[in-house]
Amino acid sequence: MFIDDTNISGGGGGGGLWLRVAPASNVAVAVAVTALAGFAVVVAMFYTASSHTSSSNPSPSSSSSSSSSSSSSSWIHLRSVLFVVTSSSPAYCSHSDRGRLKSSWSRRKRKHALLPRQWRSLFTPEGKFRDGGVKFLKKVRSGLIANDEEDLIRFSSLQSGYCMMGLVIVLAFHVLYDLNSSKDERDLLRTQKRKEYEKLRRQCHRLIKRNNESLKLNDIDGISYDGGTGGFIHEMDSPSSEDVVSARESLSSEERSPVVEYSGDHSSTLLDGDDSSRRITNADSSALNTDSSDSESSEDAEVTQTFPTTESREEVDPGMTPKDDCPCTEGRSKLPTVEDFTTWQRIIRLDAVRANAEWIPYSQSQAGVSDDIARCAAEAVGLKDYDHLEPCRIFHAARLVAILEAYALFDPEIGYCQGMSDLLSPIITVMTEDHEAFWCFVGFMKKARHNFRLDEVGIRRQLSIVSKIIKSKDSHLYRHLEKLQAEDCFFVYRMVVVLFRRELTYEQTLCLWEVMWADQAAIRAGIGKSAWSRIRQRAPPTDDLLLYAIAASVLQKRKLIIEKYSSMDEILRECNSMSGHLDVWKLLDDAHDLVMTLHEKIETSLS
Amino acid sequence: MGSSSGQSNSYDLSFKILLIGDSGVGKSSLLVSFISASTNDLAPTIGVDFKIKLLTVGGKKLKLTIWDTAGQERFRTLTSSYYRGAQGIILVYDVTRRETFTNLSDVWAKEVELHLTNKDCVKMLVGNKVDRESERAVSREEGMALAKELGSLFLECSAKTRENVEQCFEELALKIMEVPSLLEEGSNAVKRNILKPKEGHPAPPGGGCC
Repeated sequence: MFIDDTNISGGGGGGGLWLRVAPASNVAVAVAVTALAGFAVVVAMFYTASSHTSSSNPSPSSSSSSSSSSSSSSWIHLRSVLFVVTSSSPAYCSHSDRGRLKSSWSRRKRKHALLPRQWRSLFTPEGKFRDGGVKFLKKVRSGLIANDEEDLIRFSSLQSGYCMMGLVIVLAFHVLYDLNSSKDERDLLRTQKRKEYEKLRRQCHRLIKRNNESLKLNDIDGISYDGGTGGFIHEMDSPSSEDVVSARESLSSEERSPVVEYSGDHSSTLLDGDDSSRRITNADSSALNTDSSDSESSEDAEVTQTFPTTESREEVDPGMTPKDDCPCTEGRSKLPTVEDFTTWQRIIRLDAVRANAEWIPYSQSQAGVSDDIARCAAEAVGLKDYDHLEPCRIFHAARLVAILEAYALFDPEIGYCQGMSDLLSPIITVMTEDHEAFWCFVGFMKKARHNFRLDEVGIRRQLSIVSKIIKSKDSHLYRHLEKLQAEDCFFVYRMVVVLFRRELTYEQTLCLWEVMWADQAAIRAGIGKSAWSRIRQRAPPTDDLLLYAIAASVLQKRKLIIEKYSSMDEILRECNSMSGHLDVWKLLDDAHDLVMTLHEKIETSLS
Repeated sequence: MGSSSGQSNSYDLSFKILLIGDSGVGKSSLLVSFISASTNDLAPTIGVDFKIKLLTVGGKKLKLTIWDTAGQERFRTLTSSYYRGAQGIILVYDVTRRETFTNLSDVWAKEVELHLTNKDCVKMLVGNKVDRESERAVSREEGMALAKELGSLFLECSAKTRENVEQCFEELALKIMEVPSLLEEGSNAVKRNILKPKEGHPAPPGGGCC
């Protein structure tokens, strides 16, 4: 399972490898999206290295600790140059209830967490994955990234930041980067993406400001919570540049490639008035060379404080959503928007201040944020009713608002829907930079957004897959559900919408998401079944691992459901009260078993 | 887990009550405040959830199944299927946010008329968060006027201080028991449970939402 380090040449490159310049010819088209992976990997390496040296590791493979310490200085140097996820000490995951809940999954794995040299060995000197990411994804899928030597479950042993880093990397690669991208390519794009995000934030401010001018003031900081009936949407609907049209065209032609689609989509939307980087709109590799460099970055740094006025060109066209199969985006003017941006802003703020505090132990830097900084951040986004919260939660809420609001602008077809804050919270815990978190969230939402659609098509499709899985696996249970008129599986609604976030603990959620994303990344990267044949997890990657896991959680209760429950209400209640009673590893075990036996049947029935 | 079964003979009547209203008005808080006396901040409700409370009102042992729904508009298709079979509906607004009040008459009252199965169903208007008196944006008189218009009961309460929280559910239950058709539904639900505690065939088509 492990990479044989002796076969890998770049292992000793340490920090140096990051400083080399990638040949431009290697830029892949699909890379046009990404910028974050560089940071993710770098940080991962940084953390892996630094944390590893401080942990006592009795295994033979810890011989690599010498290499990690020797290279740590260059990492530290790089840290100031490169993007770092968090400037704090590594996130720590101190406790785990997994000791008593060991499943066969965890027992099966007697593997090591990735050591620094192993990290390095995954990459070429240019920072590309050597094998297109196959090994990396395999490791994530099998829970390896965060596994520790003693197999004390991934998160239990962590003085290190393995779990977080695994998450960040998988997330970044899954949602944003091409597995073939090099470090330089990612860096370049990262800058571009940061500017795009900052532009979105400025738009948010402008909309708030304009709204305040046109509607009566109702609150502090000029945020009007008065039901401005669609005013924004109308204003935003103003004719936009031709770029929008071209972007839309490119969107449809690239529908099958999510990576490119996103790139084409939002860069066009967001950069369309920006002369210096206008041509980035074309989602191909040439765009990379036109990036207007860092010269603008300082100007944009304090977006939340100042922003230029009267630039209608930056307005977002509501039709510019990453549309897939939605029947309702034919014309811009026919958006079925019953909720408007003002409504979203209001609900976002409400939800942000009541976000749960489970993340706090996992980000020391954010947990220890000062009162001043927290309040400043809160004021910048017009948070309200937060006086009862401690600084770290205020800060967290402010970040949620900033990113969710930007997302609502970015994807006005979905806007904001309750549940999205649940999905974003772990991401901002891991990523301390808002713009990085934003783009990861965008990628995350690529799939999840369908669950939030107004027409409910997405959620119904998901529920029907869960139903099919149960039907195929357990006809007895299914017949019982039919009798209770519960075969539509609406009782797992919440699990689908917030991806088990409410049922699992914070740590468990990260485990599940990581494995899930690795599956999706593998599929996207075209890593087919054959590539998995030699590994222990024989279940092929599936886009719907979550749904198999959900079905598994229901199947685990089959006896109770069949013998005791005589209405759908009771099953719903059972599902809603699973929090704290689930073993994520057992769940993944069961889910993978289901995938192995059923995926062909399920997938053919869907197509 | 499974605690709701096997209680079939410990109560005389069983009623279904639904909580509706805009996001963040405190529906879940009201429910939790009633059930467990806890007054913490709660994460937004996704979809629907429900809790069961056994209590004695007017000499009768009642089982209240109280459904909590997500407030955001786009969950409405989902939540609307839960109106079916309800004997009581609590329409909640936040006294510090005026639009949550106007939405009750503009939006929620219409939803109720559209989806209710028993037209006798008792409605109750509840203004939450009266602990924040200084921020009040809807007067008590306005609340009473709307209640009159909707033909509903009216109370102001605070899930946080628990002021009027129990009264809210108890008054509603009392009123339900005064309505013969609802009373019958409530006792039928109990009989059904006793007669066939766990037969295969569905009791009320309660939450079916195809």
